[in-house]
Amino acid sequence: MDSRYEVEFKVRGDDFLAAGEASNQIKETLIMLGVPSPISRRASVITYEAEMNLVIHSGGGILRAIITPEKLTIEAKDQGPGIPDLDLAMREGFSTASDKVREMGFGAGMGLPNIKRNSDCLQIDSLIGKGTILTATVFFHQGEGNRG
Amino acid sequence: MTVTSLIEALGLDVHHGGNGNVHVSRGVVGDLLSFVMGGAPEGAVWVTLQTHVNIAAVAVLKEIPLVILASGRIPDAELLERCRKEGISIATASDSPFDLCGALHDLGLKG
Repeated sequence: MDSRYEVEFKVRGDDFLAAGEASNQIKETLIMLGVPSPISRRASVITYEAEMNLVIHSGGGILRAIITPEKLTIEAKDQGPGIPDLDLAMREGFSTASDKVREMGFGAGMGLPNIKRNSDCLQIDSLIGKGTILTATVFFHQGEGNRG
Repeated sequence: MTVTSLIEALGLDVHHGGNGNVHVSRGVVGDLLSFVMGGAPEGAVWVTLQTHVNIAAVAVLKEIPLVILASGRIPDAELLERCRKEGISIATASDSPFDLCGALHDLGLKG
């Protein structure tokens, strides 16, 4: 693997037909680069949940994966409404999704907890009315980060 | 057992058959996509009542070879098309999710 590899996708808000395509392409990129399966599987959970947050809550945004020999960084950036209470948003079962979205099986309040469970480091910066930047890191070798 | 032998054993109505030679030993049931995304074993058979296209995205990422729609549910056109494109087998069972999972368990699949 080169020292740094980066892929970026524009995710459209409310586009449920295309939802998941960016995550799938990131997974294919990780496999192409020879990233071990346990890492790419964790990455898939993170990218999918981050992508769906962009689709459902943020009016779209940018999903980016940065791969270095040491780690994978996944960044989801949007200019959506922001997260008023981050502690509440991280609580399993809490969701602000609409009834329509819930009927499709989304909005179970498991997205951010799923991301946290599969990340070694998770940073969420959110400003009301400005947007949110989620940065999740997965290290390729044990001992380089603290899960959770 | 293989996907093909499982489909035959359960008498499923197949809408699209992907790679029938894939071996399956695990299963998951659920209609919440994040539950399946976060908790399903890789390569599991997925039993659900959801019929829309986003099922396929989860199935691809979780390497799920066979989606079984329970209680006679029929896949939406977009879901069927995506399953064809991605090589995912999708079939309908007349059984309820409960009875279907019992049958899968009897065939040796674990959660």
